[in-house]
Amino acid sequence: MSKKYIDIKKIKKRILLEKIAKALIVLFVAVIPSIPIWLMYLGLIAQAFSSKVTLGIIPNGFTLKNWRFLWSTIQMGLKKYPNIWPITINSLYLALGTALLVTFVAGLAGYALSRMEFRGRTKMMEFILALHAFPSIVLLIALFVLLNKLGLYGRGFITLTGVMITKAALEAPMGAWIMKGFFDNVPWDIEWAALVDGCNRLTAWRKVILPLVLPGFAAVAVFAFLAGWAEFIMAFTFIREDRWWPLSVMIYHVIGEYKFVDWGFLAALSLFYALPTIIFFVFSQKLLLRIYVGGVKG
Amino acid sequence: MVSVKLDKVSKYFGKVKAVDDVTLYIRDGEFVTLLGPSGCGKTTTLLMIAGIYKPTKGRIYFDDIDVTDIPPKDRNVGMVFQSYALYPHMTVYNNIAFPLKLKKLPKNEIDKKVREVAKLLKIDHLLDRKPSQLSGGQQQRVALARALVKEPDVLLLDEPLSNLDALLRVYMRAELKRLQKTLGITAIYVTHDQIEALSMSDRIVVMNNGRIQQTGTPDEIYSKPSNTFVASFIGTPPMNLIPCRVIDGKTLECLGFKYVFKDEIAEKILNEHKEVYFGIRPEDIVITNKDNGDAEATILVVEPIGKDLVITIQLEEEHTIKILAPPSINLKPGDKIYLKFKKEKIHLFDKKTGQRIEYIIKKGEE
Amino acid sequence: MPSLKNLPRKILPWIFLAPLLFMIILFWLVPVGLTVFLSFTNVTYKNFVKFVHGVEGAFNFTLENFHKLLGGDPYIGEIAKITLIYVGSVLAINAFYSLILSISIVYLVKNEYLSTFMRVVWLLPRITPAVVYGFLWIWLISPDTGPFYQFFASLGVAPGSWLLEKPYSQILMIVVNGYVGASFGMIIYTSAIKSIPEDLIRAAKVDGASDLQIIRSIILPLLKWPMLFVISWQTLSLIASYEQILILWGSYGATKAAGTTVFAIYAWFKAFEMGEYAYGATVSLVLVAIGIVLILLYFKIFGFHKLMQPSKIEV
Ligand SMILES: Nc1ncnc2c1ncn2[C@@H]1O[C@H](COP(=O)(O)OP(=O)(O)O)[C@@H](O)[C@H]1O
Ligand SMILES: [Mg+2]
Repeated sequence: MSKKYIDIKKIKKRILLEKIAKALIVLFVAVIPSIPIWLMYLGLIAQAFSSKVTLGIIPNGFTLKNWRFLWSTIQMGLKKYPNIWPITINSLYLALGTALLVTFVAGLAGYALSRMEFRGRTKMMEFILALHAFPSIVLLIALFVLLNKLGLYGRGFITLTGVMITKAALEAPMGAWIMKGFFDNVPWDIEWAALVDGCNRLTAWRKVILPLVLPGFAAVAVFAFLAGWAEFIMAFTFIREDRWWPLSVMIYHVIGEYKFVDWGFLAALSLFYALPTIIFFVFSQKLLLRIYVGGVKG
Repeated sequence: MVSVKLDKVSKYFGKVKAVDDVTLYIRDGEFVTLLGPSGCGKTTTLLMIAGIYKPTKGRIYFDDIDVTDIPPKDRNVGMVFQSYALYPHMTVYNNIAFPLKLKKLPKNEIDKKVREVAKLLKIDHLLDRKPSQLSGGQQQRVALARALVKEPDVLLLDEPLSNLDALLRVYMRAELKRLQKTLGITAIYVTHDQIEALSMSDRIVVMNNGRIQQTGTPDEIYSKPSNTFVASFIGTPPMNLIPCRVIDGKTLECLGFKYVFKDEIAEKILNEHKEVYFGIRPEDIVITNKDNGDAEATILVVEPIGKDLVITIQLEEEHTIKILAPPSINLKPGDKIYLKFKKEKIHLFDKKTGQRIEYIIKKGEE
Repeated sequence: MPSLKNLPRKILPWIFLAPLLFMIILFWLVPVGLTVFLSFTNVTYKNFVKFVHGVEGAFNFTLENFHKLLGGDPYIGEIAKITLIYVGSVLAINAFYSLILSISIVYLVKNEYLSTFMRVVWLLPRITPAVVYGFLWIWLISPDTGPFYQFFASLGVAPGSWLLEKPYSQILMIVVNGYVGASFGMIIYTSAIKSIPEDLIRAAKVDGASDLQIIRSIILPLLKWPMLFVISWQTLSLIASYEQILILWGSYGATKAAGTTVFAIYAWFKAFEMGEYAYGATVSLVLVAIGIVLILLYFKIFGFHKLMQPSKIEV
């Protein structure tokens, strides 16, 4: 390198300029547009715990008054909302039921798709991928008619169960898809080794493969749980009796009633509802991201 | 062309000391090889010279310019990666032209240079192809062309031949060496293959665990390994290291035999050490008769490799060593044989530190 | 279980698949058929109960719904236009904006913790339950305390209501869904960027490229497929997405005033607010048809194997 090429001052200046350009891009593309997100969540927390909030997000005076719905009934004029705890149990029922069903169905199907030879296997996979891409929400009207035909509409707990099964059915193709991916990652020779060591296919499944795909089951279960927990439209459309609402539907109604009136109360209620999701997400972020990427859900 | 100097350079990744206190001087136009097992810090060293990594400690100089804080762009180095790292979406032509385009050279000049270097490397018929349409050897040449086209002051090569098949590898060794000498370019070559290192380099730097073990010409590395690591890393099969106790200044009690030096100087040096390794390369052991033998042994395995036989023998208990013998010898496992060690080829290493013990054998004494 | 061991190999896979197939048939295929069926009937809230109970003569077959869809319904044109604007704008955010967002976050931000943190922040809109996310927007734009409202008011943009005044309401619809969609693109893109071999970036640096040049000549060209994928997939889910619109506006009257009646929500309102189940199904049928056609098209153009690897880069 002949010395004439190196002008350290100039290089340093250029590096500095590049750094500034990059920082500006990050600022304008990633930081400033994220301000509404920040405002939302800081505001949510600030409102939920303070009696007065200035500028939307600056808390002023700590209080738990906004959380009164945990120990007393929500009432607006003459309108009384059901107690929060049975509603929370409805949501848990919906979410856990969905998780259980999806995990069961997807585990079996994923294994068959990944490991077994049968006629039309490729076609079946294409079909499942297609379902998975298809926006199931457009079938809502038909599903409504179907639930009516099956006698599941307007019957409280049974309707809630109907919503749960429908939700599970809509999530199941994706679950099967994800499980197939996890099974694909178990090397064949491990299964062969197990077979050679004297397991039949079922014991091989239980003793050798299951431990290896347990993260897959966990992922599908968490994913289906969150989907069930967040489910709104079907529950909103299908469940008439407020006693059997899940949290999402109750919150929707309460928001309609209380907006502009009591933001703090709404914030506390929303936080109460969103907390499990956020906690789950923080703890299983890597797993969930993997699903989002492989799972391809819009 | 430039000389490259690394002055007490270290690179830590968290707790991992990938490169640890490396000091090295590479002369203008020299071909230097970094040799060591995988994970010993060779690539990291190369990437610091390229400017991709910044050293945690220490400085790097090109001639006498401190380039430690200078980005790769301004160092004028060319690099060939182990994976070749060809841009998959560009044609061969655009791959080679890329460094020149970034320098904003005029189009016709770029074209001239690309075609020149393509011709030099005999890839001028491949210019319109995409990297995925090339064989491993062709990809390797494209990578080399891309590194050479900008007429770099230093050429860095990270295991460039490791993805090629054996025959091509031997051919490319010679080719690379010839190219480097014609262009007179300073080259730093990384490999874990000692044969490559021994056959191509002006000097070899043996590394282990991020530290330099020895720097020297291939001949020095081979005939005067400075510690047990280098001794056992170089040579196929590598040097035999037999643990010994020092009885007195002249006598070693080794596993399976007693060895007496007939030399005064050896005595002096040996007095300073309690336990040593007796090092002898397989080709420096001769099979002889009982009267001339230094040691007695039993044959375990006889394997032909190429033109020679590698014979694994047992000295005592579990300790085995290997010797090289001409194929004419008629031996089979279980045979008892007598060994003679070529006296001037005996290496001694301190058992605790692993360091070479320097001593002089007077020629002609036997 | 030895009895299972002896089952013919041909049957076992189908036993494993049976629960899934049952669900698919009952909750996917039957509803698609039902949507088609309903479109050719005159089922409304008036004869719905009889229809459900299978009372003879409860309904008639008719083509009236299709006549309505293709000319009788004066709002269809408007709704199609809104849907187009909605899908187009949100798609642009999801596919292009989130591309530069991802590059900024995973390539330009070198600190790994900061980068992960930013990613999580940008994922929040997606993982938050829809009702809560919708509520937070209602609060952000409320004139009394909403910081979003107040910020724009201080710039002189102060509509009486962001929810009800065009074009602010339409901008709101796009922004609200844009944030959710941006994170989908981001998930695909960030994993694609991370799968670019480190050596490729290093080689470009040695060749003399700056970070911005690397983005332009290496990263962007390599992200061609992920981008195509995001566009294709998001088109499909956007034409049918209306959850946020329902949560924010809630009634046909409100979406009509706000100009946010997209096709999918129109079907919902028709069926569940006005009781025109058959006509609602017909509007849905358009979306079902578009969905099926697009999926077939994608399979034909890209092929199954490519669709399975959304974030694969061409190396
Ligand atoms: N980017 C990195 N982050 C963390 N550790 C690294 C990184 N690069 C290399 N290392 C570690 O540094 C050591 C040396 O690596 P490397 O220079 O690649 O070895 P070599 O090229 O000799 O095989 C290894 O232990 C490796 O795991
Ligand atoms: Mg390496």
